[in-house]
Amino acid sequence: MNEQIRVYDPVATGSVATRVTSHPLAGLGGKVIGFVDNAKPNFQYLVDDLGALLMQKYGVAEIVKHRKRGQVPMGDAVADELAEKCDAIIAGSGD
Amino acid sequence: MVTTAFTGLGHAQAKALGHPELPLAVIPHPFGLRTRAEVTALAAQCVDEVARLLCEAGADAESGKAQATARAKRAQLVDAPLDTDGFNMLCMERQWGDGLPVIAPTPEKVAAMLRHTKRAPDEIVARIAPAYGAATVEYIAINAVMAGCYPEYLPVLIAAAEAMGDPALNLQSMQATTNPAAVGLILNGPLAQRLKVNSGGNCLGPGTWANATLGRAVRLILQNIGGGLPGDMDKSTHGQPAKFTLCCAENEAANPWEPLHVERGYAPEDSTITLIGALGTWNMNTHAKDAPDLLRVIADTMTYPTGSDYVNGGAPWLMLCPEHAHILKQAGLSKADVKRQLWELSKLAATRLSAKDLGRVQADRRAELGEIVRETMLPISVKPEDITIVVAGGTGTHSVYLPASGRVHSVTRKITIDKPRE
Repeated sequence: MNEQIRVYDPVATGSVATRVTSHPLAGLGGKVIGFVDNAKPNFQYLVDDLGALLMQKYGVAEIVKHRKRGQVPMGDAVADELAEKCDAIIAGSGD
Repeated sequence: MVTTAFTGLGHAQAKALGHPELPLAVIPHPFGLRTRAEVTALAAQCVDEVARLLCEAGADAESGKAQATARAKRAQLVDAPLDTDGFNMLCMERQWGDGLPVIAPTPEKVAAMLRHTKRAPDEIVARIAPAYGAATVEYIAINAVMAGCYPEYLPVLIAAAEAMGDPALNLQSMQATTNPAAVGLILNGPLAQRLKVNSGGNCLGPGTWANATLGRAVRLILQNIGGGLPGDMDKSTHGQPAKFTLCCAENEAANPWEPLHVERGYAPEDSTITLIGALGTWNMNTHAKDAPDLLRVIADTMTYPTGSDYVNGGAPWLMLCPEHAHILKQAGLSKADVKRQLWELSKLAATRLSAKDLGRVQADRRAELGEIVRETMLPISVKPEDITIVVAGGTGTHSVYLPASGRVHSVTRKITIDKPRE
């Protein structure tokens, strides 16, 4: 009844190594904040409003916006460009 | 930044990509239905939390890209109950299955499968989105055993995994979407016959071992290697039965045109697998006997305002029954002619879209179509060639329309068949 067999565990997720944890920002004053808009309804408005507030309330110097084309990943070139320009990037997910 | 319904997906994918501590700012779901004024109020409510997270957690992106492990880990053996009920209970607890009973992947069964390839067990064939797990030959074999595949099916699944890793398939979008996106398989070439993959009557239905288990193995790979678990990263609102299996061969014997793999540049004697992203299988029953009438009603079926194709510029599929295909062929039409006519006939008046969806189209297809207004006639795909036609099925006047998942283009790979090792 309690006999056991040996089987393979079929799960292979989690096989990407954990990256080096990046450092938090000391403050937002003068920083460049990027947004990756997932192109779902309303997110572009949230980006507009949040960006304006971050500049007004926290002294963020610049907001950089990238709107994805539908459900297509933005690609390495765009990601690299954003990483080059921005001190932090906020990506949207969900509807 | 995620909506509440996507919090689990956000955490899971951050972890899968090597950033388990990535902070998430959470806003209420559903977000897309809110008015402009409500969005402004929400921004005011959450800006302090967003600012706090930016300063408390990783944000300067200095770590660069994820470094995938150079070699994949070998699969681990674990103890499991010998009896079928106990083993399947374990599978349910660990979310290893699809809800149906599975076959225990014992070392003997996996070894028997691995004899059908020359590739090393720890060779990474692809990384499977959205968890980007390493689909090694061994892990593919393990999941194939669980699905009930015969050992000689392994080369098909290795080629399928290669296709899953092609960016054109956009697997991430299918695995994590609320749409009912099913990854389907179409086989071409002589191997399909040797493996007895059904291409005739009921080819999308029950009754054929290869069709049932090959499609099922892909599903298990998507879940166990790709992390697309229902209720976790798989956010499908309803799902669909085709997510259990969607697999058939093209009925090349009854196809009046060149088969799909030849159309895509392979030799007739090659065997291939083509992966598609289908949002459904719609029966089109018509006794139309002349080509213009037949094309008109097929195009009319394709033309519906709630599909992804018109929003994104899609890549839909038609599975024509032999009778319909022969009507078109006898009218002197090539496959390219059929695609072109369907593309023209299936243009959708933008006014049929909801206001929100029209906004999505305007944002998404402006570069392709220019200014989009309510009077614009939207093509179903960027170009006629993006419509794919295969011939399959048995007798009858039924063809199948398979609307595509958003921005998914089917991918074909040659199946490498090695002589089985002793």
